[in-house]
Order: sequence, then structure tokens, then C-alpha cells
Amino acid sequence: MSKKVQAIYLWWHKPVIDQELLQSLPNLKVIANSGVGMDHLDLKLVASFGVKMANAPRAVSSSTADTGMALLLASARRLVEGYHIAMSSGMEYCEADILGVKVTGATLGIIGMGSIGYKIALRAKAFEMNILYHNRTRRKEQEEQAVGATYCETIDSLLQRADFVMVVVSLTPQTHKLIGKREMELMKPTATLINISRHSYSKPGAVVDQEALVTALQTGVIRAAALDVTYPEPLPRDHTLLKLKNVIITPHLGIKTDKATYMITEEAVENILAALNGLPIPSEVLPS
Amino acid sequence: MWYHRPVINEELLQSLPNLKIVASSGVGIDHLDLKLISSYGVKVSNTPFVVSTDTADLGMALMLASSRRLVEGYQIAVSPDTEYFPADWLGAEVSGATLGIVGMGTIGYKVAERAKAFEMKILYHNRNRRNKEEESAVGAIYCKKIDDLLQQSDFVLLSVNLTPQTHKLIGKRELELMKPTATLINTSRGLVVDQDALVEALQNKVIKAAALDVTYPEPLPRDHPLLKLKNVIITPHIGSATKKTRRLMMENMMESIQAGLAGLPIPNEVL
Repeated sequence: MSKKVQAIYLWWHKPVIDQELLQSLPNLKVIANSGVGMDHLDLKLVASFGVKMANAPRAVSSSTADTGMALLLASARRLVEGYHIAMSSGMEYCEADILGVKVTGATLGIIGMGSIGYKIALRAKAFEMNILYHNRTRRKEQEEQAVGATYCETIDSLLQRADFVMVVVSLTPQTHKLIGKREMELMKPTATLINISRHSYSKPGAVVDQEALVTALQTGVIRAAALDVTYPEPLPRDHTLLKLKNVIITPHLGIKTDKATYMITEEAVENILAALNGLPIPSEVLPS
Repeated sequence: MWYHRPVINEELLQSLPNLKIVASSGVGIDHLDLKLISSYGVKVSNTPFVVSTDTADLGMALMLASSRRLVEGYQIAVSPDTEYFPADWLGAEVSGATLGIVGMGTIGYKVAERAKAFEMKILYHNRNRRNKEEESAVGAIYCKKIDDLLQQSDFVLLSVNLTPQTHKLIGKRELELMKPTATLINTSRGLVVDQDALVEALQNKVIKAAALDVTYPEPLPRDHPLLKLKNVIITPHIGSATKKTRRLMMENMMESIQAGLAGLPIPNEVL
């Protein structure tokens, strides 16, 4: 059986690809990953066996951008709190419990303007939002103009002006605890932090300093937060973040839609067929 | 008046001989008997345009929350029983789906502008067709018959006024025309939907889900079946509930009141 295996389709990060597995599959030609992140794979090890690797970058951006907008809107308009008031039994409430913040015309600061960040900018523009962005590299002028985005060379100038801060980076040594106590104190007290960053399955830690976030939310340093990713996932059941009224946490909705799942699988199959036919692989990932 | 209170009836009007104007918050005026009020020589004003973007924003919020199972997801994320996040748990994609807007007034059009950025296909049904420039600006396709819109939409969003013609506009027949994978979103008035028919449709999976900012009555009695359905999101009529907009509404109402008392032309007068 093991001599017949020519391709592996990794669903999230299983099966685990280690020396033992690679040695047991002499005819393995390609490992196709579902999704974008590859840090659960030892790229050099896999390459040393002459096995090609590919990821599925195209399918994820719209679904993740939608998740970011869903969280931004739900937090701004206090949708979860409103749901509990409307659906619960005999809950008295006053106006102050349901008043949210206006999204149309507000300022959105996007940290990480890759393909997902850019799709968020496209969506936010339709809400007449003023868009600021911070990225390792600046986008081309036409791309900026298409979404009306203003580049912020320093993250500080973005944090000081934004009503909504959307964090859309990958977790790397440079972005670990990118948003900490200092960054949150630079934010407006009326601002909302939204985190849809890509985290790592193998490296611990997070882009947002969670302890600092708890303090900031409890003391009114920022207004609210909406997190699709936490560290760990799920959080321990006694974690303070689960109890705060001004926090929405979602279970890594990211790309969990029927359509995205289908498209990721399609991309992976494309990659596998190309590899097995000795053709150039559309989304090949090389060990750098 | 705020949130339909006080009730403006014959008794109240008779007891207030010097009443000059009723300034109503929000855009809807279905709770007011305009003929009766006018017969007492009293003017009426509302706050039409200021609520539009917030209501459109909420329509989008409800569509995204429902489709991506946000509330359910939140409950999983914070539940004391959760040990891990389920791997086979999926929502439905909003980007690229078909949105049918019933009622393409100011609010409906703003929803279309937002939905376009999500690369949604937009169908609309309205008493009157919009002009070509307006249609092509948002890529909206006119459906003269509401049936065509209902049969093709993944999301049906209601943004009509409540009038005798739109009362129970969406009933058993309309719900059965919708796709079984479709979601109904209502940011207009509860009475536009036949609520009993909606309950049945949701229970029997005739449609997939509903997201309602408005019901009849508001709030629903606590034992109402809509409150027990897993595939329903209800919010407490927060369409215009932002600090900025509420402030603007009050400023508009003050302007109307001051003009009414001074005998000047009234901004936002309802005739």
C-alpha cells in the first residue's frame, strides 16, 4: 500500500509529516496543503526526500475578509448583546445597553495589507470608511487609490487615528505581540480591536498580547475587541476574556465556509495533478 | 415621540388643545393615524435620511452573522463545556452569493452598495424601477415579479415601508418560493412578514434561517416559538441605534419642533 502513495492531501495539519512517514512512502511525489500556512511542515526535510510541496493561497481571502467584516459589524453594533436581550427571558434593558458605534464613515486601520487585508479594504470602502493601512511594504499607487487607502509608515499613526483596528498579519517572530500594552494605549478609548491574523499550529504565542488586552478592555483603554483567533485555541474555560461583555470571540471562523472548503480542495487537486504529471505546480512552496 | 410612545389617539389629541406638532423619531410612520392627527390641525414630522446608513449597516451585519453562524460560534467559544473547536463546523459564504432586496428605497440602495463590494449578485424588487445609472452603479437586476427574486436569492432582505400593500408581504407562498438554503433578513417592520408562517417555514426547513431586527410585537412574548429556534437571530430593533445617529435624530426632531412652534415651514414634515 505504502508503495502506491504518490500524493498526500493535508487537511489542516494531519497527518503529521515526519522522517518516519517520508521513509515509508518511497513513491511520494507531492504534499498538497489545505490553506496557506506551512509552518507545521519541515520544508527542508520534505525537500530532502525529493517531495514537492504546495499550499492553497487563492481560496482563503474572500472568506477571511468576510469574517473580518462580520466581526467588525457585530462588535460595533453590539449584535451579540442585542441578541441576548431580544432572546432572553424578561431582561430589562435601557437605551445605553444597546447603543453601538457608527460604522459608515468611520476610520478603519488595517494592519497587514496582503490579499486578505486588501479585500477588507474593498469591502470597507463600500461602507464609506476612511481607510488607513500599515504593511511591511507599501502597495502601488493604483491599488491604494482603488480603495482610497492611506499608507501609515508607522503603526503608531494608524493606531492613533483609527476607530477600528483590524489585524490581518501572519504570526512570525516580528509580529509576535505586535499589539501590546503600548499599542493599545495609543488607540482611541472609543476604538475596537479586531484580530483575524493567521496563527501558528507549532509556534506558541499570538499577535495580540492577550493579558494586555484584558487590562485594556477592563480599564476602558479601548472600547471593545472581536477575536477570531486566540492563543491557545480554545482558551482555558476560566480565562477572563470569556467573561468580558465588550469582547466577541469566535471559534476560528476564518475560512470555514462550504465554498472555501470546496475551493481549497480544488486548488489542492490542481497542485497534485500537476506534480504527478511532471508539470509546473501552480502554488508550489519552496524551502527558503 | 420616541419608539411609538406616547400613543397618539383621539383622547390624547382632545386633551391637548394647544398641540402644534408631533415629532416622531425614525423614518417609519405606520404607528401614526395621519388623517386623525391632521384633523386636529397638528403637524407631523419624522427623521428619514439620517437612519439610512445605520440600518443598511445592520442589514449587512445580520446577513454576515447569520451566514457565518457568528452567534452560535460565540456560544461555542465561551461555553464552559467546550474542549476543542469542531473541525467539521461550517458556515455559508456571503461573498459571491445572490442577494435579493425587497424595497429599493434609500436604505435598500445603501445595502446594495455595500453588498456589491462583497461581489454579491444583486436582484431587487420595488414598486418602481430605478434608473439605468442607479442600477448599473450597484450591478442590480430588476425583478418585476417578486417571485423571480425569491426563487433565485440566497439572502432575501426586506427594506420596505409598512403600508396596507406590504402588510404580510412575505407569507407562506413567498417562503415556499424561496430556496431551502436561503436566509430571510428583516430590517423593515415585523408586520411585513406573516410571523406564524415564518415559524412554520423555519421549523420545517422550508427556508434555512432568519435574522430579524424587527418583530410584531416588540418585544415578542417570552414563550414565542421564534425565540426557541436555533436558526433565528433576533436583535431588539437596533437599526438606528448608534450614538451619532440618535444624536442626529434628536437634532432633527428639535429643528422640526422649533419650526412647528414658530409657524415656519417644517423640515421633514410628513404630509
